[in-house]
Amino acid sequence: MRPFVRASLAVAVLSLGISMSLPAFAQKATVRMWTFLNPSGTTPREVTLAKIISDFQAANPDIEIVTETHAFDQLTPKFLAAHGTGKAPDIIWAATDFLGDAIASGSLADLNELFINKWTPEQIADRKGPYWDLTLRNGKQYALFTSRNYISLLYRPDFFKQAGVDPDSIKTWDDFVKAAKALTVTDTSGQVVRYGFAQGYSEHQADPLLMIPMALANGDGIFKLDGRANFAHPAGVAAMKFQTDLIKEHKVSPPQAAAWTVDDVYEQFASGRAAMILGASVRVSTLQSKLGDDKVGMMLWPGSGEVEHAPAVMAGWAVGVWSGSKVKAQAGKFVEYMLGPIGDKMWVEKGGQSPGLLSTLASLGDFIKQPGKDYLRVAAEGSAKFGWLAPIDFSAGGYRQALNKAGQRILVNGEDVKASLERAESDFNRQHKR
Amino acid sequence: MHSKYAGIHYIVPAFALLTLVLFSPVFYGVWFSLFRIQYGSPTDFAGLDNFRDLLSDPTLPATLHRSAIFTAAAVSITIALSLALAIWIHRLGERRGFLVQIIVIVPWIISTVVATLLFRWVFVNDIGLAGSIARMAGLDDIQMLNNPHSAMALLVAVSVWKRIGYAVIILLAGVKGIPDDYEEAALIDGATPFQIFRRITLPLLKTPLLLVAIVLTLSNLNTVETPLVLTGGGPGDATRILPMDVFDRAFITYDLGSATALALAMFFGNVLLVLAYVRLAKWKT
Repeated sequence: MRPFVRASLAVAVLSLGISMSLPAFAQKATVRMWTFLNPSGTTPREVTLAKIISDFQAANPDIEIVTETHAFDQLTPKFLAAHGTGKAPDIIWAATDFLGDAIASGSLADLNELFINKWTPEQIADRKGPYWDLTLRNGKQYALFTSRNYISLLYRPDFFKQAGVDPDSIKTWDDFVKAAKALTVTDTSGQVVRYGFAQGYSEHQADPLLMIPMALANGDGIFKLDGRANFAHPAGVAAMKFQTDLIKEHKVSPPQAAAWTVDDVYEQFASGRAAMILGASVRVSTLQSKLGDDKVGMMLWPGSGEVEHAPAVMAGWAVGVWSGSKVKAQAGKFVEYMLGPIGDKMWVEKGGQSPGLLSTLASLGDFIKQPGKDYLRVAAEGSAKFGWLAPIDFSAGGYRQALNKAGQRILVNGEDVKASLERAESDFNRQHKR
Repeated sequence: MHSKYAGIHYIVPAFALLTLVLFSPVFYGVWFSLFRIQYGSPTDFAGLDNFRDLLSDPTLPATLHRSAIFTAAAVSITIALSLALAIWIHRLGERRGFLVQIIVIVPWIISTVVATLLFRWVFVNDIGLAGSIARMAGLDDIQMLNNPHSAMALLVAVSVWKRIGYAVIILLAGVKGIPDDYEEAALIDGATPFQIFRRITLPLLKTPLLLVAIVLTLSNLNTVETPLVLTGGGPGDATRILPMDVFDRAFITYDLGSATALALAMFFGNVLLVLAYVRLAKWKT
């Protein structure tokens, strides 16, 4: 055979081979997911996400999950902006504050159509609760929650023991102040080496301040029905005064906290500079991995005479599928796996999160009874009985920042509590054009 | 084609690329700002409503004022220090000059977020380095981030520290470009060192100084990472400058209409500032 003919035949055979194998390549779907967790990271939740992705991909070789990590406070607004330009990721983790915007914008696909319609009534019942209801609108299920975040009091059991304070003895806000005083330690020069309680007031990375559960316990709420801010009512003023007095009057909280972010607070807690902090259940596993399981506990907020426990702000991440995705089925398949019975168990056991399924809670009864895992029970009980979710019928974005700024003005500028809250209301309403 | 238009052929590819990369977002921003934005998408045509809303915002004048103070302080201090450093480095020997140059440049090459976090950890609490030094010196705790004036001073200091390396490099190149003969001749004529600096060095550094002033002004006026990480705009609004305001409007309250309008206003402000600088430099020629 002439070399030219041989070469032509070889090229033809090669081309045929490539063209036959192309469909196999073409079938592999890439699913882009935006989250705040970095699967290459080392925290328990990041390790869990990486494991869930690798297990899913092993079982579904035709689907590749590509994760893009974003700062948590910018994740949802960026997604909404990306939806506006038609270039959003296939899977999104939406923060509770912006969940209403995400649903109203039409950016989230109905998960019923993707996979929930195939579920049995038992499977649906397994998931029922406030988080399920929050993402159910007009018969459509727009997202499922992971990372149920119960934000209340984290404490150091070892410091409580040293100070002779029983965590269960903190029933009222007066008990809380007494305990915080007992837990505040000063050295011989009068320098405070440990504060009884700490929370951060920075607008950057803002968690909901203590005053919110305290005000909510009174039943007044922090929003009016039309979405306008409702901070400066008597209960709000009393709650803000209580929390700023922890610094100004009782000296059980650090004045530097006026500039602290959430992460600063966790660092102070981890370094033993604070015995109690305002903290989230989802951070407990990371703190325990640094300090030891027996060094981090969680308790419900104190109550008043009428309310057993003030309702904690619940937040979290609602995972949904982008309505404009070209790989909705594959994206839905991953969401179903990630938040299904296998994924949920992993999030609890490895990631240290509260269970999302009642069956997980039941099956992991022994796990939750282990030392240091009691916070899962506290978070589950709190979520069921003493929780508050920001409304999603209007955008609530910025309410935590507005209240933090009000707190800063009171602490740093000596502004009057009521005047500062009224200004916060006015700023919030103006920003939202309400 | 007439020879005077021949150059157009050469600049068309670069201009097209610039249009795509630099100008298209501006055009898109202008278009975007003329609509009501809901959930990230333009809905009804709003004309100049977004800009009118901006003008009626009672917090904006104070933010503008703080931005002007921050930028003016950061730029003038950076230029003064970098000019002194550039002249000093020029007079050092080659090896020592090189070492000082490296030390001065390091902050510039560090990521802004990392550099700012380093400062934050020094000042953020009473067990930071600043607090420890203060206590060793018998002073009270330093709470710079809790005081409106010291928080702004710290913001300026971080900005100066971060950007001084760039300014030194440019000004040092300018200083090295001045022939030694000029100084020698001036010395023979009996000029004092200050007169040499005032009459020879400074005028001959006009171009690099202008360049440094423009770049520093723009980078300070548009920095969001430094205030966001260092102070979060606080305490209160003490360090809230314009780019942070844009960031908050876009990512905290999700008001993309006013965020875009403010960003555009800042863009045109930047352009005007550059034109003013260039014009000012020409007048003094």
